[in-house]
Amino acid sequence: MDFFANMITGFSVALEPMNLVFCFIGVFIGTLIGVLPGIGPVGTMAILLPVTYGIPPTTAIIMLSGIYYGAQYGGSTTSILVGIPGEAASVITTIDGYQMALQGRAGPALGIAAFGSFIAGTIGIIGMQLLAPPLVSVALRFGPPEYFSLMILGLVILTYLAQKSMAKALMMAGVGILLGTVGLDTMTGTPRFTAGVPELLDGVGIAPLAMGLFGISEILLNVERKFKLEIVTTELKHLFPSAKDWGESIGPILRSSVVGFFLGILPGGGAVLASFVTYGMEKRLSKTPEQFGKGAIAGVAAPESANNAAAQGAFIPLLTLGIPANVVMGMLLGALMIHNIVPGPMMIKNHPDLFWGVIASMYVGNVMLLILNLPLIGLWVKLLQVPYSILFPMILFICLLGGYVINNSTTDLYLMLLFGVVGYLMRKFDYEPAPLILAYVLSSLLENALRQSLILSGGSLQIFVTRPISVGCLVLSLILLVSSILPWIRDRRRMLVDQAEEAT
Amino acid sequence: MNSDRLGSMFWFALGAISIYGSVRLGLGTTGEPGSGFLPFTAGVFICLMALLVFLQSFGSGRRLQRGLATLWEGVYWRRSLAIGVLTLAYILTLETLGFFLTGFLLLVIIMRGLERLDWKKTLIISIVTLTVSYVVFKIFLKATLPVGVLGF
Repeated sequence: MDFFANMITGFSVALEPMNLVFCFIGVFIGTLIGVLPGIGPVGTMAILLPVTYGIPPTTAIIMLSGIYYGAQYGGSTTSILVGIPGEAASVITTIDGYQMALQGRAGPALGIAAFGSFIAGTIGIIGMQLLAPPLVSVALRFGPPEYFSLMILGLVILTYLAQKSMAKALMMAGVGILLGTVGLDTMTGTPRFTAGVPELLDGVGIAPLAMGLFGISEILLNVERKFKLEIVTTELKHLFPSAKDWGESIGPILRSSVVGFFLGILPGGGAVLASFVTYGMEKRLSKTPEQFGKGAIAGVAAPESANNAAAQGAFIPLLTLGIPANVVMGMLLGALMIHNIVPGPMMIKNHPDLFWGVIASMYVGNVMLLILNLPLIGLWVKLLQVPYSILFPMILFICLLGGYVINNSTTDLYLMLLFGVVGYLMRKFDYEPAPLILAYVLSSLLENALRQSLILSGGSLQIFVTRPISVGCLVLSLILLVSSILPWIRDRRRMLVDQAEEAT
Repeated sequence: MNSDRLGSMFWFALGAISIYGSVRLGLGTTGEPGSGFLPFTAGVFICLMALLVFLQSFGSGRRLQRGLATLWEGVYWRRSLAIGVLTLAYILTLETLGFFLTGFLLLVIIMRGLERLDWKKTLIISIVTLTVSYVVFKIFLKATLPVGVLGF
């Protein structure tokens, strides 16, 4: 009964004209940036954060969420037609998708990617609806020590999955926490690391930081390389996969949806991990594993379903615990905080319209995406032909404009440029910005949880190891840290990284 | 110079500075952590990790043995430098020249000067971009954009 009552609440919000429009804008922009290589969902959400200041929070989250799951649809188009991933979660799709396109089967590849995404997205949303309420009741039993340890676990998993050096990724998490402490200390009112700049009393803003690290720095890196996209321009026909294609794909789609969804919930996980894991899984389960890498349709169906299901699953920790599972969710948390909404177990009760509205909007968004990505596929193919020399000046200009209007001050723009240059150098030196930004978002939550725990225990650190959930998270973190040092695991990790690099 | 060694020295210095700053802020006690407690912990952690990366750079493995110059080998680094300088110039002049003029100059200089697009394309794209962003930000979102010398 509750299920339906909640859905009615949700749909009455999601179907409001304004929310419909912003949902469409979100999924449209999501598909767009998913298709275009060189700009990802994090950068786009950062650029659009200033836009969300002027609209109601529910509408803002509906739009930003649309960008994220929309990008999972769009990313496949570029992977299949060009052979380079439009988006990180579509890296693995390039292997079989591009082979299919070369064999003149671009149509079924695009079709199965879109249908798989739709089915997985829907399964993911149903999963969210079923899992979120019971998780909320568990989350209500979480005290500060549990929150603290869970956040540590999230950061450790994220750095464990870092593509390059784990030491560097951990270091970046440290830098993120440090950056998050800039500004007034919320408990004592003491200014920290502001260097006498009054604008920094409020802290380093998430918009200039994320726009710099993900927007500006990517532009700086991309203009150094002159890349030209070579699109497979066979006629796109038979978008609707044949019965044989369906037969080979439906199993992988359903399995990958479920696995992807649960991998998405995992703190530090997300769409990228899900696509890699399910590809490997399906290859192992397949009766014809030798076809993988040579244009197997299951090799497209599995990762494309998994990344969509994971994109939905990733919302669960944010909406129930208030802890972002990955960087994109970190951006959403930032957006909610701008509107003075603290996500967590109380949100479902205090803001049911927002909670169920956002979930219902995902059903609507998924239908919009199916329409956008199948009948309108030609539009995106045309867009792929727009050269980067036209795109990047526009992206740069919008970054600069968005960065200014938040506070009407050029201080944010200077910060953005600074972080842009820092991000550029970081990538040159093989440091990943994702752990930095996630740690930055978690910093104040982490500090509050730490302080409250210590006050609660009268200064004893034992509080973190005497509570079962807390100690479980910490032990798991420790296992991951130690295992990454063990030589055979380290070598295996490196091998996977090399494979991923070769795949791109 | 090995790039990892140089990088780790930079982050070590940053960690050290934050440790110094945190101690000045006051660490407090474990029963009542002060303002410097978390940044101090983060600073120590950054220094430790930087030390680890520094030591790893003496190990073997192809990824670890990269000189500084190789990072900019075979890329058009002058282009990214130019974009960086142009962005700085944009920020410096934005409030005096105004949104339209600085935006127009930025777009035209990049597209015509750097990317060698023809004048027709450059002008059309610049004007459309400026108009659309004006409508979205100023009219739709009611944001304040710097007017500058043009007065609108």
